[in-house]
Order: sequence, then structure tokens, then C-alpha cells
Amino acid sequence: MKVKFGPVTRIEGHLNVTTVIEDNRVVDARCEGEMFRGFEIFLRGRDPLDAQQITQRICGVCPYAHAVASSYAQENAYGLQVSHNGRILHNLIQGANHLYDYLLHFYQLCALDFVDVTAITLYAGSDPDMVKLRNWVKNELASDRPFPAAPFLPRLSGRYIDDQEINLQALKNYLEAMEIQKKANRASALFGGKFPHATGIFPGGCTQKPTVDLILKYQSLIQETVNFYRLKYIPDVMAVAAAFPEYWNIGRSQGDFLSYGLLPFSPESQSRRLLAAGVLHEGRVDKVDFDRIVEDVRYSRYDSASGLKVRDGNLQPAPHKSNAYTWIKAPRYDGRMVEVGPAARVLVDYFTGNNRPLRELVNQYKALAGIEPMQFNSVLGRHLCRALSGLLIGEFLLEESERLDLGQPGMQEIRIPATGEGYGATEASRGALLHYIRLKDHRIEKYECVVPTTWNCSPRDDQSRPGALESALIGTYVEKPDEQIESVRIVHSFDPCLACAVH
Amino acid sequence: MAASLSAAFGLSGFSGPVGAALKQLDPKHIPRLIYLQGLSCSGCSVSLLQAESPSPLTMITDYSQLLFHGDLSAASGPRVMELLDSYVDGRAGEYFLALEGAIPEGMPEACMLGEHTLIRYLEKAARTMTGAVAIGSCATYGGIPAAEGNLTGAVSLPEFYRKRQLEPLMITIPGCSVHPDWVWHTISHIVRVGIPKLNKYGSPEIFFGRKVHDSCPRYHYFQEEILARHLGEEGCLFKVGCLGPEALADCPSRWWNGGQTWCVNANAPCVGCTAPIFARSKNFPFYRHSGTG
Repeated sequence: MKVKFGPVTRIEGHLNVTTVIEDNRVVDARCEGEMFRGFEIFLRGRDPLDAQQITQRICGVCPYAHAVASSYAQENAYGLQVSHNGRILHNLIQGANHLYDYLLHFYQLCALDFVDVTAITLYAGSDPDMVKLRNWVKNELASDRPFPAAPFLPRLSGRYIDDQEINLQALKNYLEAMEIQKKANRASALFGGKFPHATGIFPGGCTQKPTVDLILKYQSLIQETVNFYRLKYIPDVMAVAAAFPEYWNIGRSQGDFLSYGLLPFSPESQSRRLLAAGVLHEGRVDKVDFDRIVEDVRYSRYDSASGLKVRDGNLQPAPHKSNAYTWIKAPRYDGRMVEVGPAARVLVDYFTGNNRPLRELVNQYKALAGIEPMQFNSVLGRHLCRALSGLLIGEFLLEESERLDLGQPGMQEIRIPATGEGYGATEASRGALLHYIRLKDHRIEKYECVVPTTWNCSPRDDQSRPGALESALIGTYVEKPDEQIESVRIVHSFDPCLACAVH
Repeated sequence: MAASLSAAFGLSGFSGPVGAALKQLDPKHIPRLIYLQGLSCSGCSVSLLQAESPSPLTMITDYSQLLFHGDLSAASGPRVMELLDSYVDGRAGEYFLALEGAIPEGMPEACMLGEHTLIRYLEKAARTMTGAVAIGSCATYGGIPAAEGNLTGAVSLPEFYRKRQLEPLMITIPGCSVHPDWVWHTISHIVRVGIPKLNKYGSPEIFFGRKVHDSCPRYHYFQEEILARHLGEEGCLFKVGCLGPEALADCPSRWWNGGQTWCVNANAPCVGCTAPIFARSKNFPFYRHSGTG
């Protein structure tokens, strides 16, 4: 039986998923990216310094990651080394963006997959926001309106947490997370100018000059966010894990893991990073080589050549191409399918032995949950990896902000050569993000982006092998094939961003 | 326009801005919103969650009924389509359409909602909705998806309806992204006073009445000719490409992200993100710098 369970909500953008169900089991799955804009095409011929502005608009959820990837690529193309302050400001802006994004993802996008939102009607405490929400839900349910309590209801049928205290605590944290994510964004906007879509990030650094006033504000906002991670977010993930332990074994992708590494320690483009870069293949981590990446389009709506390397990318949309089922391309590393994102970042770093505090956190929590490291490749694993690595990122940002040179500028003077090329690689919240720029006559001749959800929601490649999310869905048991809350939980654990995936 | 809206929301006792008074909230008359996304990045949606006063929760519970939003709705798949269809087909009652993103007029398959094109929903909605709010520069002017050289034929919501000789009630709120106040306060204004006064682009004058340059706190630098020559310098940013003279918006007084900062305060030139010309032409770069050929 063929079942489409899209449009999938509580993600970014337009995703449909077609599954084939036999005896309540997903035997086939296809991810269909349903929106195309063509950034790589309209970037051609533009001023190169437009790129970190334009590419932020690929995604309004993680724009700073695109600004930083574009800045790295331009720095490499211009032969420009970022200043000491510039590198730190890039980190402070991008790191805070991760902190907000993980919170928004877990609470606003995923919590309602597990937490029983109707528990709010039982609330007997005095928290004003909880009282407001309770009264509103009660009034809505008592009204004769169609679809009362939207957008929180209706919801998919399935089992939700039945311990009302846990539900109420999680709902309270849902509301508090809405406030905390703003603080993380306020912190990054202090240096970026505004969020979303910063105007202050450039190759070479950031236009804002570091001052004591700004650093104090930044640290205070990040400290509040870190406290929430430690006291609320990580415990809430573990509470969900205690109620749904089977999800340590559900949603396992069937390929390798790729991370480009996050937050460099020094201005050199090959600097060591807080979280390591690498490709994890059968327990071994190899160095990343961008030349080993190709993008297949046999099942994608393009009639350009398939299997091109990133620097040779050449996009020609073909909306009516037969057998194509998505606007997403199928990137492969060394011919293999990979998962990118929080679990990839943590696993690559863990097996590299790059970051000792991360290793200790992972060991502590895998013991608490009674799991093996490779079970981070699961629905719960992805959620926990975000929370744990977020804690680590937040603590790093507090230290990093102490290293700014007061009174020194935040950026370098930019001189754009007539020709040049460069890659820029970083980790967006959703995973490995690569930009490539090539210049001709001081203009952009070619711009290519290979974006996290392009990897994770990849369709079949030219050999008809599935992408990471497709492979994680196949084999899943679903109680109600027409609704598939189990599949939706798997999709959400990857935090797909379709605007990024297709761009 | 204002009259029809007033009637729709039981605001007939108010005669526009002159008789404006805050009306008690009546749950029966708060607008139902169906929020759809076209060629968009969700940046405006994310910005709406950055609202401070009122908070996003208050906006959802007190000032609007957010019937559907792809980023927040608990239901997905057929249950969502059933909800959308019941309103768009005119079976479920009054609603406002909010659209974030541009519309791929030249390539309808470039934006799908379930099994159907976004275009199909927008065409049907024109006959059943009370009015529409275009959210962000993509929905208002076409924005970056409509940049020179694009292959989707992206257009704005007003242009989309104009081409079909349809004239629905429409409020446009530009910005890439929008400031959350611009949207939420417009909705609050509709609920408690009536439709706000609109400028020639159909955008509320309270937010889009003056050019950024005209109320810029650095205007005195401009007058004294203290001009930044390189990015990252202080002073008036006109010589490095600031588009404040092109953009109608109240950023210089409203500021962003909890009122902590805004672009020019961070020495970042205004990129004119609320202007019709924003990002459209290859020959009109954002910045003036020494590397331009």
C-alpha cells in the first residue's frame, strides 16, 4: 500500500514523503523536496560580496551558517586571512545561532510528537503563561469552532507521554524555550546587526567593533541559554527517552557520517575546530576531501549531467522529467551515502578523540541511557546529540568572547581579485554545509552550495540507492499506516530544512 | 476596503483612524489566519517568533487564530489538507490568508503543497478569503527569488492577483525578513482599531512612512560629511553602499531583536531589504568597495 504522509509540518519548508507499507512496515520511502528557487543560477554574474547576503536567504532558520560558509569561501578565493577578532566574531555569531536552533527544533518542532499537549487542561499551578494557555485551550475546546486549539490540535494519533507531571513540565519548558531562543538570537544580533539575515557578517570578519558593553550583554544572554540547556533541555530529552526507549533503535540511517567541523580555534583556514571534521566509515575517521563529493540527479528534476563534482555543478531545472520525484539532488561521498547533522558531528568527534569534554559527556550519557555510541544514530540519539553539543558550544562561546581584542577592529579590508576560487565549509545546525565560489572579471562566475538537508533528504542516487532519511524510514513499524506518527518522529529527528536542501 | 474589513470583524462602530479607539478583545472577531509559504526561506516565520511585546504566544492565543502554519501545526499530511481545503473551498468560514514567499508563476511545479501547486490554492483562496497579508519582501515585491536571472518567473502576491484581474483586500509588509512588530502590530491594529492607514505600496504607514536614511541616528554624520570609506568603519555608511535612502522602514527607531541593535548600529550598511529594488539587479551590488571591476 502506497501512503503519502506529507506535507510534513513542523519542519522548514515543503517536504512530502511517499511510503510503501506492507504488514504495518515501511518497505520503501521516498523524500520529495517540493520547492525550487535556483540560487546558484541567479548568483552568476553578481558582485562576489553580494554572496554572503544572498545565500543567507537560502534559509531563514540558519542564515548565519550560510553567511559564514560564504565568508570562508570568499576568504579562500580572495587570499584574505580573517583577523583575530573577525574569526572570534564569526564564531560568536554562528555558535549562538546553533543554540537557538536546537531549542526551537526540540521544543517547537518536535516536543508535540511525544508530549501530550492536552495535559495543559489539568494545570493547577499559577504560572501566568501556563494559566493563559490552559484557559485558552479550554475555551477553544468548548467553542463550536472548526479545528479548535489550532495549531496545537488536531494532531496525529498515537501514544503520548502519560505522566502528566512530565507533560506539564515539558509544556512549561516549551513556553520558556520560546523566550530563551530569543535571547540566543539577541546575543548573535549584537554583532551581526539583526536576526534573521545578518548584515554585519563579511569575509574577513564582522563590521561591529567589540566593546565591553557588547561582550557583557553577549555573555549574559549566552549564560542564560546555557543554564536552560543544563537544567531543562537535557533533562527533557532524557525524560522523552525514558518514556520512549525504543527510539534508541528506531530511525537508524544506513550509511556513513560526515562533518566539516565547527568553530575554528585560529584564523588559518586549516585551523583545528571545537568539533572535528571527518568522514566516519566503519568505525574509522578519514580526512574530508571535497573532490570526492559528487551530486547525482537521475531521480531529481534536472536534466543537467549527473555525477558532477561540486566545482563543476551545472543546474538545469526540468520540472516534468520522468522518473524524477524531487527537487533535491543526491550527493554522495566516495560513492557512498552519508548522514550529516548532530549525530554525525558528535560521532566524528568522538571517534577522532578531538574534544575531551565531549567524549566525557557522551560516555556519561550513553551509560545513563544504557546505549552504545552507534545508537546515537537514532531518533533519540539525534535529539541528545543536539542538546549535549549545544551545552559544549555555549560554554565555548563564553570563553571565546573573553579572547576578543578590545579596541581592535572586527574585520579586514576586502580586496576582490579578478579571478580566484575557494571552498568554505562549516557546520550549520542541520549538518555539513559547503559553499564554492569562482570569480571571473571580479564577478561570480560560479557558485555552488551542498547543504545539510541535501545530504539527509537525498533521493535515490544513480545506482538507485536511497538517501539517509529514506534509509532510516525503511523497516519502520507503523501502527496506523495512514498517519505514521512513528515515521514523522524519524523525519523530525533529522530536522529537515527544505529551503536549504534545494535552494 | 476599510469598510468591508470593518464589517467582516464587527468594527462598524469605528470610522477609520479618526474614530480610532482600542476595542475590547472579542474572541468571536479575532481573525483566523491560514499561513502558507511559497518560494520562501522561513526567515519571516522565524522572525515572528522573535516578538517581544506582545509575545508570540499572546499573538496566537489572544489576537489571532493560527489555523495553519507549516512550522508549528501539530498535524500533518491528510489531516492538514482537510483543514486547508475546508477553508479554501469556503466551507469552514471566514479567514485571512498570510503568504510568506514569492510565487513561481513561470514554473508552477516549483512550489507544491501536498498534491497540488501553491498557485491552485492561491487562486481558490481569492474567492473565499476575507483578505490577504503579504509577509516579507518576497510576497510583497518578489524579493530574492525574483532576482535577475531567475528561472521560476517568481512574482509577488499583489502581482499574482493583478495578473488574474483579482483585487482582494491586501496588506503588504515588506522586509527580508520582516520585523515581528510590523506583522503582529498590524494584526493587533486590525483587531482593536481597524485597518491601519496604508502607503502607496499597500503597507502600513506607521511602519513604512519614512526612509531609513531620513530618521537614521547617523544622519548628522551625513550632514557633516563624516563618511565611512571602508566596511567596518563608523560614520555615515552612504559611501560604502548604504541603501537607507531607498528603503521605507522604521528600523532606526524600532531597532531589532529586543531593541538591542539594528544593521547600521553594527556598522553594517542597510541593504534596503524593504525596498522594491532589493537584490533585484546584478548591476546594483549591495556594497561599494575597492574590488569592483
